[in-house]
Amino acid sequence: MSGNYSVTLLGPAPWGFRLQGGKDFNMPLTISRLSDGGKAAKGGVAVGDTVLSIDGVSTEGMNHLEAQNKIKNCTGNLKPPSWSGPLHSVLLE
Amino acid sequence: MTQIETTVHYDNGYEDEYMLQEEEWDRDMLLDPAWEQQQRKTFTAWCNSHLRKAGTQIENIEEDFRNGLKLMLLLEVISGERLPKPDRGKMRFHKIANVNKALDFITSKGVKLVSIGAEEIVDGNVKMTLGMIWTIILRFAIQDISVEETSAKEGLLLWCQRKTAPYRNVNVQNFHVSWKDGLAFCALIHRHRPDLLDFSKLNKDDPLGNLNLAFDIAEKHLDIPKMLDAEDIINTPKPDERAIMTYVSCFYHAFAGAEQAETAANRICKVLGVNQENEKLMEEYERLASELLEWIRRTTPWLENRTPEKTMAEMQRKLEDFRDYRRQHKPPKVQEKCQLEINFNTLQTKLRISNRPAFMPSEGKMVSDITSAWQGLEQAEKGFEEWLLTEIRRLERLDHLAEKFRQKATNHENWASGKELILIQKDYETATLTEVRALLRKHEAFESDLAAHQDRVEQIAAIAQELNELDYHDIASVNLRCQSICDLWDKLGTLTQKRREALERAEKLLETIDQLFLEFAKRSAPFNNWMEGAMEDLQDMFIVHTIEEVQSLIAAHEQFKATMPEADAERQAILGIHNEVQKISQSYGIKANIINPYSTITTEELLNKWEKVKKLVPQRDGSLQEEMARQHAHERLRRQFAAQANLIGPWIQARMEEIGRCSLEIGGTLEDQMTQLKQMEHVIIAYKPNIDKLEGDHQLIQESLVFDNKHTNYTMEHIRVGWELLLTTIARTINEIETQILTRDAKGISQQQMNEFRSSFNHFDRKKNGAMETDDFRACLISMGYDLGEVEFARIMMLVDPNATGIVSFQSFIDFMTRETADTDTADQVVASFRILAADKPYILVDELRRELPPEQAEYCIMRMPPYKGPGAPPGALDYTAFSTALYGESDL
Repeated sequence: MSGNYSVTLLGPAPWGFRLQGGKDFNMPLTISRLSDGGKAAKGGVAVGDTVLSIDGVSTEGMNHLEAQNKIKNCTGNLKPPSWSGPLHSVLLE
Repeated sequence: MTQIETTVHYDNGYEDEYMLQEEEWDRDMLLDPAWEQQQRKTFTAWCNSHLRKAGTQIENIEEDFRNGLKLMLLLEVISGERLPKPDRGKMRFHKIANVNKALDFITSKGVKLVSIGAEEIVDGNVKMTLGMIWTIILRFAIQDISVEETSAKEGLLLWCQRKTAPYRNVNVQNFHVSWKDGLAFCALIHRHRPDLLDFSKLNKDDPLGNLNLAFDIAEKHLDIPKMLDAEDIINTPKPDERAIMTYVSCFYHAFAGAEQAETAANRICKVLGVNQENEKLMEEYERLASELLEWIRRTTPWLENRTPEKTMAEMQRKLEDFRDYRRQHKPPKVQEKCQLEINFNTLQTKLRISNRPAFMPSEGKMVSDITSAWQGLEQAEKGFEEWLLTEIRRLERLDHLAEKFRQKATNHENWASGKELILIQKDYETATLTEVRALLRKHEAFESDLAAHQDRVEQIAAIAQELNELDYHDIASVNLRCQSICDLWDKLGTLTQKRREALERAEKLLETIDQLFLEFAKRSAPFNNWMEGAMEDLQDMFIVHTIEEVQSLIAAHEQFKATMPEADAERQAILGIHNEVQKISQSYGIKANIINPYSTITTEELLNKWEKVKKLVPQRDGSLQEEMARQHAHERLRRQFAAQANLIGPWIQARMEEIGRCSLEIGGTLEDQMTQLKQMEHVIIAYKPNIDKLEGDHQLIQESLVFDNKHTNYTMEHIRVGWELLLTTIARTINEIETQILTRDAKGISQQQMNEFRSSFNHFDRKKNGAMETDDFRACLISMGYDLGEVEFARIMMLVDPNATGIVSFQSFIDFMTRETADTDTADQVVASFRILAADKPYILVDELRRELPPEQAEYCIMRMPPYKGPGAPPGALDYTAFSTALYGESDL
């Protein structure tokens, strides 16, 4: 798979993918597993895809925990009062 | 009586008429005696009127002429001519001869005597004699009468008529009755001499008185003797014509003679007048001629004067004088001459007209003299004018030449002034070569200027020469100036030559010096460079690391030393050049500042550098020798090191191999391997002092800055690395074995299994370096029955070679081989462990961590764990799940 793409996954978690890697492991942040029928799978994410940026922020230099947190905390800062739960959107590229 | 016919030939030819008139009076033959008487009276009186002049008279006309003597005398008197000498004889024939002489004479006068012979006369024939006398009277008294072209009788008649014309009561028609009243005679008298009678008082009726009056007056005052008798005339009805004619002819002769005398006097007066006039003219001519000749005589020398004047102005004045002469003075003289000629011609003409002999001017005043004098004058004039013009031209030319000379001389003098001073300058003594060359160029220009002036000087001399030839009046000053110009010219020539020589000499010298300078520059520069190079080289900091290098440096230095004598020679030569220059400039007295334009290098500089070089040579010798010693020392160190290294290196190698062998071996248990390895470890550790010693040697070498060692291929680093590698290898290998043991124990892998793993691994470790490459691993997996897709293989590779080193170690291999059987999710285990600690909460609290874990690990967790964001979490709750998954690098999100 070549070519960058961006995907927006609507929250909440789980999004159905396993994140692997990070600077502390000296491995790029990649998708190592997908849950069938999960949001990630539906969103077009594939196993082996590299996460280049999360919510517009480059993943270069991020360790696993940072990436994990970033993904979890990805929010659009929009919280309309009518919505009952937090809106999470994840931008994966 | 017959009328005597006498034919008298006259020129007028009136004889016939005359004869007729005579025949009319044939009736008067009756009067013959009276007529004869009258004639006799009258003719006698007439003859006597003439003979008295000869002092004789006749009484009786028929008698006194009979001998012919008185006849001849009469003829002589009335003719004024001499007759032939009469014969003085008394004889008849003498008389006849004499009478014939007379008659011949008469005949000779053109009278044809008809029937008159000498004999009748000698015989005393009255009629013959009277006839002869009448012939004489006719011929000599009447014949020559000419009045208004009428001659003889008619003429006499005409004369009477003319003379008496004013008198009204007088009418003369003939020579007989017209005279009877006497008035005619009176009229004649009164006409000519009114003082003798008063005609108005006369009366026609008194013919006697009139006649007598007339006869008296005539006798008294007119010297006409009485020839007629008054009473005879009155009493005769027709007086004798011949007698009347004879008497009247006397009147004619008296008055006409008087008249003639008057006329003659008038003529004489006229002639005299003419003469006088002529004489006057002649005098005039003479005078004019004299004057003219005098004038010519005076003027000619002036015209012939060829005294030249000095100036053109004076000559021009002379020309002006000449012009004046031509315009003012000469014309009147020309006129005079013309007048003279005219006068002369007029005079000659007058003389010719008046039958005078031609005028012969006096000596020297003749026409030819005048003409020639005049010609001479005009010649002189022409000559003079020519001379004037020539002179003026000459003077003009002289003036022009003199001015030209002056101008050219002045120009030349102006040009030449100051040139002498310039030429004797000694400016070349202090000039440089370029300056001298420039001076030479300037001098060349001057020389050509001089040459250009050469012909100008020649021109000046030529003009002076011409002035000399043309006899210029101020030639002295011209010559003086010319001389000074020529002298100066020669001088300039000489000086020019001298200066040229001096300049050329200076140029040559300076050129020689320049050449020497150039030589100096050419040689001193490279020499200087060589010395500088030498100095640099001699002081050259060298870094040598081998003895050979030092040796070559020493050799080079020796070579250099060998060139020193040559160099010194060169130095001497260069110095020699400089000295040469000094010598030349001294000996030729070049006062200019001689500096070398080609080089800034001085001899002092050269000398200094040479001294330095000379000093540096032995210095270098010393340095090189020192270095040599050092190099030798280094070499020793090298050898030492090398010897050592050459022992250690292979020893380490051997140990490495040993270890390799050991780890690859399959026989024996891991414990056996371990023991072996541990033994090896001991050996290795025991060997360390060697390494230390080598390090010591190496330090020495390094301190000596020896960087290479050809005696050994082993560098210290090599040995070090090798040693460390050996240490690590042995440690790692031991560790590996330990790990294998652990793994074996942990995973319960039997020795046999281990050996199998080992054998597989070794088999696929194609390169036999204790690790499998990716392809090796893949082959291995395939051999083990794994049906691998790319994805799966990649996943496996990631597990086995998480660091993507491209090799799979035995340990990883074992891990992989053993992992597949296990189904451990280590991240979950950790999460499970934390859950236990968190008492099953999804989060853990700080003090729980501190309580359960050792402080260090607790703090680690506290720092790293992200805050728990789940519901119902107290502040400070930590998300251990995220943390755990993050630990393994795998998070499920």
